[in-house]
Amino acid sequence: MSAAAPPPAPPAVTVIGIGNPYRRDDGAAGAVLQRLAAQWGADPRVRLVELDGESVRVVQAWEGSRTVWIVDAVRSGRPAGTIHEVDAQHLGDLDDSGKRLGGGHLLGLGEAVDLADALDLLPAELRILGIEGVEFDNGEGLSAPVAAGVARAVEFLSNAIGAALQNR
Amino acid sequence: MTHEHRARRFEVDALARVEGEGGLIVEIHEGALTDVRLRIFEPPRFFEGFLRGRKYTEPADITARICGICPVAYQMSACQAIEAACGVEVDPDIRTLRHLLYCGEWIESHALHIHLLHAPDFLGYHSGIAMAADHRAEVERGLRLKKIGNRIVEVVGGRAVHPINVKVGGFYSAPSLATMRDLAEELRWALQASIDVARWVATFPMPLHELPHDIALVALRHPTEYPMLGERLVSDGGLNIEAHEWRDHFAEEHVQHSTALHGRMLAGGDYMVGPLARFALNADHLAPQAAALAAELGLTPAERNPFRSILVRAIETVHACEVALVIADGYVLPARSFVPVEPRAAVGCGWSEAPRGLLWHRYELDADGLVVTAQIVPPTSQNQPSIEHDLMHLVEHSLHLDDAALEHLCEQAVRNYDPCISCATHFLDMRVIRT
Repeated sequence: MSAAAPPPAPPAVTVIGIGNPYRRDDGAAGAVLQRLAAQWGADPRVRLVELDGESVRVVQAWEGSRTVWIVDAVRSGRPAGTIHEVDAQHLGDLDDSGKRLGGGHLLGLGEAVDLADALDLLPAELRILGIEGVEFDNGEGLSAPVAAGVARAVEFLSNAIGAALQNR
Repeated sequence: MTHEHRARRFEVDALARVEGEGGLIVEIHEGALTDVRLRIFEPPRFFEGFLRGRKYTEPADITARICGICPVAYQMSACQAIEAACGVEVDPDIRTLRHLLYCGEWIESHALHIHLLHAPDFLGYHSGIAMAADHRAEVERGLRLKKIGNRIVEVVGGRAVHPINVKVGGFYSAPSLATMRDLAEELRWALQASIDVARWVATFPMPLHELPHDIALVALRHPTEYPMLGERLVSDGGLNIEAHEWRDHFAEEHVQHSTALHGRMLAGGDYMVGPLARFALNADHLAPQAAALAAELGLTPAERNPFRSILVRAIETVHACEVALVIADGYVLPARSFVPVEPRAAVGCGWSEAPRGLLWHRYELDADGLVVTAQIVPPTSQNQPSIEHDLMHLVEHSLHLDDAALEHLCEQAVRNYDPCISCATHFLDMRVIRT
């Protein structure tokens, strides 16, 4: 009788998209994940997860990954569609122009980071990619500037995923 | 310090550690309580309009987006309502898989609520994260338990959040035998862990308080099961009705201070849904280990202290693990994973017990299977009047406390109901205003 096969290694990279497609621009992260899936969906080194922002799920979704990206629609007062890249442990900091990210799920993300820190579950690299939204009312469909921002976010993340896999 | 002779007004603009967004206002004038208002922003109203004109196959997927914490409840109530409209009954094997899926949601939701949302109140911490520093092993156990609940939803529902394998009539596909065997192994650990959690929760210091006796207890009832998928609605006042009779006995009404509708009994009075009501009306149908543990921990169907609802949730978690393990151990591939459902012009009602209580759906379909009208009554809107009523009673008996202690007690009391006001955004901008 042969020994059981060892469990597969966890994916090196996890991309978590947070949002709700029925709150217009809040669906930006889901749209990013859909497009990333075309390139990375079949790659066992990459895990793509759509979540609602509940902090425990976020922490448990990245289990085993060294590099984690969290994509979320945000509000900071910048033009719609602007892409923000932030280290997750500095979510509450002001940026160079004195602005701070805001948004529907960032509090949950802050809690996720704090919880992971308390339980030694932080990955080596945890970064947020925020897409500046403008329309968060109930309804379907992204605003035009956010749809353009989604395309830029997909390009950025594809490059980031490729780099992370090369640097393993 | 006394507050007997000055006006006091709390405005907790958004409640921490409730799922979503809400606010609480407590007004005290010259030492007497004058008003308690809970403000909730409720998403189902948008979805009721959004569902009009959609195909009968869509509510299960669309309503799952109303709540990230209890999508299964929305899916199960929607499916049952549509199936009732179309005159379809699912196979027993499919119903059993639905029961397992529901166990996953209860385990996940209750484990989150107990460990990160409510236990900190009882143990004197401002958050679950702060509590984790001193109670790391308990928090880690709770999160592993929650993860197994997630895993059940993933195995049966296709993914852990907003399940995609659920359809009207059943499931797109049934889980494999090997997957279910692995799940059973995880559930063996989960069952023992859930028992340990209940014993831990039973040690918490409990505020003494009793639900006002004019608040009725309302829950589903099944001939043999603790009711996740109940058949009839019962109350401690003797009500016993079918799903299509809900509007003959209950109604929702607008109130000025909240966007959520308030549930009322047409016969008069407030009513409570959720774990305490479920347990009071269904304790005789708990699984054996859960029933024995409830007795050991002194929990009886006569329990009316809302603060003890955290212990009921712990017992219900044991029950859900026990039932899930029996289903996983006895699993055989169903002959078919779904029953075909053909639309017809009809009205159908369906309900189930979300972790927070009764969730009732009603759909009117046309001959092409398009939704003409939809009505969704979530547990939180039903509980909102009784939460206010209960808080009035609690605050009246707690006026000797200073503002900070009273505010903490009120928040803890609101969390007894685990109000799910999810899917609204989470802007927690807490304020206290005193006049």
